[in-house]
Amino acid sequence: MLEVEDLWFAYGNLARGKYVLRGVSLRVSSRVACLLGPNGAGKTTLMKCIVGILKPERGRILLRGRDITGMDCRSRAKLISYVPQEFTIPFPYTAFEVVLMGRNPYVNILQGPRAEDEVKAREALEALGVGHLAGKPFTSLSGGEKRLVLIARALAQDAQLLVLDEPTSFLDYRNKLVALETLRGVSRQFSKSVLISLHDPNLALLFCDEVFLMRGGEVVAGGRPDEVITRDSIRRVYGVRVRELRVNGCKLIAPEDVLLK
Amino acid sequence: MDKAILKLTVFFAFLLIASLCVGRLLFLPWRANALNMTIVMYVRLPRVMAASLAGAALGLAGVALQNTFRNYLAGPGILGVTSGSAFGAVLAILLLPPNPAAIQLTAFAFGLVAMSLAYYLARLAGGGILALILAGIVTSALFSACVGIVKYMADPYNKLPAMVYWLLGSLAGTRWGDLAPAVPPLLVGVVTLLLLRWVLNVLSLGDDEALALGVNVGLFRALAVVAATLATSASTSLAGMIAWVGVVSPHIARLLVGYDNRRLVPASALVGATLLLFCDDLARTLSAAELPLSVMTSFVGAPILFAILVRRRACLAGS
Repeated sequence: MLEVEDLWFAYGNLARGKYVLRGVSLRVSSRVACLLGPNGAGKTTLMKCIVGILKPERGRILLRGRDITGMDCRSRAKLISYVPQEFTIPFPYTAFEVVLMGRNPYVNILQGPRAEDEVKAREALEALGVGHLAGKPFTSLSGGEKRLVLIARALAQDAQLLVLDEPTSFLDYRNKLVALETLRGVSRQFSKSVLISLHDPNLALLFCDEVFLMRGGEVVAGGRPDEVITRDSIRRVYGVRVRELRVNGCKLIAPEDVLLK
Repeated sequence: MDKAILKLTVFFAFLLIASLCVGRLLFLPWRANALNMTIVMYVRLPRVMAASLAGAALGLAGVALQNTFRNYLAGPGILGVTSGSAFGAVLAILLLPPNPAAIQLTAFAFGLVAMSLAYYLARLAGGGILALILAGIVTSALFSACVGIVKYMADPYNKLPAMVYWLLGSLAGTRWGDLAPAVPPLLVGVVTLLLLRWVLNVLSLGDDEALALGVNVGLFRALAVVAATLATSASTSLAGMIAWVGVVSPHIARLLVGYDNRRLVPASALVGATLLLFCDDLARTLSAAELPLSVMTSFVGAPILFAILVRRRACLAGS
């Protein structure tokens, strides 16, 4: 589905040693893939390069075998939708208006959306179970509702790949689970691929089909979550000693120092 | 058509007709005679048209810049355009023989120079919204200082009063001939901003999200800013410095039609036109001597903005 080949990126005119992405290569072949790694590992930068917000210095990005590295933003927006980690919408647009903006890649920019775009936006809201929020100001919604509305916008964008930067940030424990379960459901129901970044290895183990472990701007391991997230890899990447547990056949990890206490 | 926009249009049309009838002499349409018709056609109609066009342009420029810069308080002055136009006008008054067309043209030209300088400085500062706002503040301060120098150098009995009069804004003495040079750039700005109303929605989400939604941010932001500058410079060259209309009109329009720019942009144009026309009517009817237009717009605009802020606070407390 998504292939990243030898991607290099640096902010500004930095010396070679200051690259934020250092030859990143990965191949996403599953429904729900996850970038996992400590702060500053380069997850958000990699996502922004994939979406086209940042231009990599070197390397290629391919979607279903098609090179999209130099593609114009409008064509790329038809293939990849993006939900950022932080979203500050300054004006209180209604949730429906926010989702309708997801139709922008298909809209004649001087005419605005047509009736069929409005139908698609309503369908996306209904699919996420937040149709009742359509008329409410986006700024008045709770964190979890905002996240669902933005996922609805990504769905309305009708792209093959949904990229979500830390979709669980600022959410309480229940809403984290709801958001990830919803993404998994969207991926299955609409045959979309989803690439997310997470901070919690256990959530990656529970909800993702594939994990790419990042450190210092490089992908250090990639594959099935239970193969990638191990005692050794977590100690290498995070510097934390963990114990592997099995709950109903599902692998989880717990910090060893806490357990010993 | 949206009901609120239809009501606004009807109200504006009513005010337009009323503005032709009121003034030092009160005309009743059913008692019109040849003299009345001459005054209406050659004195009041060009003035009413100028007020409407300048108000619509300022309202549109305000809403476009508020969305482009994601800032409720952005207005036509944000990139130093009004300060640049003011400098052009006072320079023309200082150096050239009295000629309204020359003042208009230099005011317009320096408005564009100010916008170009702000854009250039923003690029030197690394680009982006914040750099552009800061560059606008620098440009505005620079041209305000230049206006101060020109006023200081001006002949206090002859040139200085003309400068002060122009800087306070007025549509007195506007004739069809004065409209001619200002209307083409003003219309180009107005039509462009009306066409960009959907993309303003997406631009207001911020650079990253707009780009991810397929909008060429650099191109469309530049288009919106240039169109707003054209409209502002042209209206400033026509009516002088007009305060508040550009900032307040979008706020009033939001109360009527909401935040979606597909309705908000035309509504802001209508509110701007209505507001400036109303203020101009007050300026020429409230006292025997004509009041400066910018004083009138400030007296009307400032309380309206305060009322809107109080109402918003009450709404937030209630929600």
